[in-house]
Amino acid sequence: MKINRRRLLQALGMSPALLAGSTAVAEGKTNKKEAGANAEPKIVGLNPKGMPPAITLLPLAPRFGSLDNKTIYMVDIGFNNGNVFFQEMQRWFRENMPSVKTIYRRKDGDYPQDDPKLWAEVKTAGAAVIMGVGH
Amino acid sequence: MGIPTSPVVTVAFKQECKTNAAKRGMPRLRLVFSPHPVWGKSPEQLWGYMNGPDPATQKPMMQEVINALTMPLTAADTKTGKETPSVGPPTFEPDTAKNLQEFYRNNGYTDFLPIIIPTEEAVDEMLKGTSHHPDELVGKLAAGGGTEAFAAWTFTVRHAAINAVMAGAKPEHLPVILAIASSGVISLISSTNDLAYGALVNGPIRNKLNMNYGIGALGPFAHANAAIGRAWTLVSKNLGNAGIPGETYMGDMGNTLNYLNLIMAENEEASPWEPFDVQHGFKKEENVVSMFSGLSVSAGQVGKGSGVGGTPHFDQQYVDLFYNFTGFFGALLLCEPICANSLKEQGYDTKEKLIDYFYKNATQTAKEYRDRNWSYLFEYGQALKGVEPFATWYKLPDDAVIPKFPHPNRISVVVIGGSTDPVSQVANFSYGKSVSIDKWM
Repeated sequence: MKINRRRLLQALGMSPALLAGSTAVAEGKTNKKEAGANAEPKIVGLNPKGMPPAITLLPLAPRFGSLDNKTIYMVDIGFNNGNVFFQEMQRWFRENMPSVKTIYRRKDGDYPQDDPKLWAEVKTAGAAVIMGVGH
Repeated sequence: MGIPTSPVVTVAFKQECKTNAAKRGMPRLRLVFSPHPVWGKSPEQLWGYMNGPDPATQKPMMQEVINALTMPLTAADTKTGKETPSVGPPTFEPDTAKNLQEFYRNNGYTDFLPIIIPTEEAVDEMLKGTSHHPDELVGKLAAGGGTEAFAAWTFTVRHAAINAVMAGAKPEHLPVILAIASSGVISLISSTNDLAYGALVNGPIRNKLNMNYGIGALGPFAHANAAIGRAWTLVSKNLGNAGIPGETYMGDMGNTLNYLNLIMAENEEASPWEPFDVQHGFKKEENVVSMFSGLSVSAGQVGKGSGVGGTPHFDQQYVDLFYNFTGFFGALLLCEPICANSLKEQGYDTKEKLIDYFYKNATQTAKEYRDRNWSYLFEYGQALKGVEPFATWYKLPDDAVIPKFPHPNRISVVVIGGSTDPVSQVANFSYGKSVSIDKWM
């Protein structure tokens, strides 16, 4: 759909003169011969985006075929009711996979904070970890 | 983590988690989703979640958890190496101004209002506003603010200038925009809370830029206030990759302040007190911008005791206005000059004395404190670690009376306004940091 800039601005309650500056700048960049007598001049806009960081791909940890007789940590990152959510998940394992041992831990500090001490414990004593859960 | 891991997240965050995991180098992370929300649900309801489907796949949720932890890895799951994300070419294909308006808008580069197209000439002109090299790195911005939830992007002086042009700023505004951008404070944070951000300018630059700190100081009555505020929003979107709903922005209903942000200049001339930046260690002749974050601004009511023949008690009135505030977000009193001078006549000869009054008189019960979601979310974890006053507040009896704010430094006072009516405003905003503008001249 083509949009009439003047009408768009008027619909927004703004003066079309607002963009006069950009047009003036734009005209300075125009190749008038290419544009032709009646064509609206073309201009070049710069990309406003910053620089995202490079991504280092991380492999998933090796899996094992079964959870039988394994210890699973359940890490609550601290959102409301996460503890109850994991209580019910522990109940599910007790009723459905009784050989699985589950250990509940609430991550230290506020939800965005790191907890290296807990991560060390989980890696030492656990076979796997379930982390959650959000609002 | 080094061992099989299954993040379980409520489905409202599906896209945010998938995108963020990929940008953190784990595009194949085995995410499992539960129904949303968990908050407020009974054990019986959550038991139902355990026995129901993952809403993203419609397969049994707990089976998805087990699969995530046990299913063999594919070659794609173990891929390593580095990837450099692209944000597109440095310049776009030549087009008409009208088409470029749509192009910038449709690609998420704008705030959905018309922009000034950032041509090379316009950006070069903008760059005359600073002595810094266009390629100099300014800083980092991340959609999660200081939480490290999202990887930070970097940007140069030129990047900031491009966004300043788009916002309609003038070259003389650029040092303030650069100072704000360099602070690392993003104005569109990923949080589910509808957060808003503020920037307070102190120093002679307020007058040099014709910033409005008088009549209508918070309204649309000054180019500098408007352009600086708008530029901050565009900087946040384009230089920090913030503000993509469902991906890097999760604010439930958003915040109208996010359009231009709470841009303030202190009315130092009408204030009976030290300027805000001087309170924080700067000299009066320095140009400084101070950063705030919070939720909203509330219009004040005329002071207690201000009826016919009465004596206004603005101090008590402001305490009343703090009633629904949480200590976590703090309080920012936007003190109208008549009120400020009246308070000084009543004995508050420094802002600190007024803040001390607020700290001692704005109170709550321990139960009211503990019943707040934000107390649990942001401070209960600290309480468990023994951080005061939260550790004590979580042990007190329900009816114990405690301060509303955990520390006086959560309360700020700024004088602003045009002395037409003794009505101040309050914002549940807390002060973060102050940054030199002079550095970016």
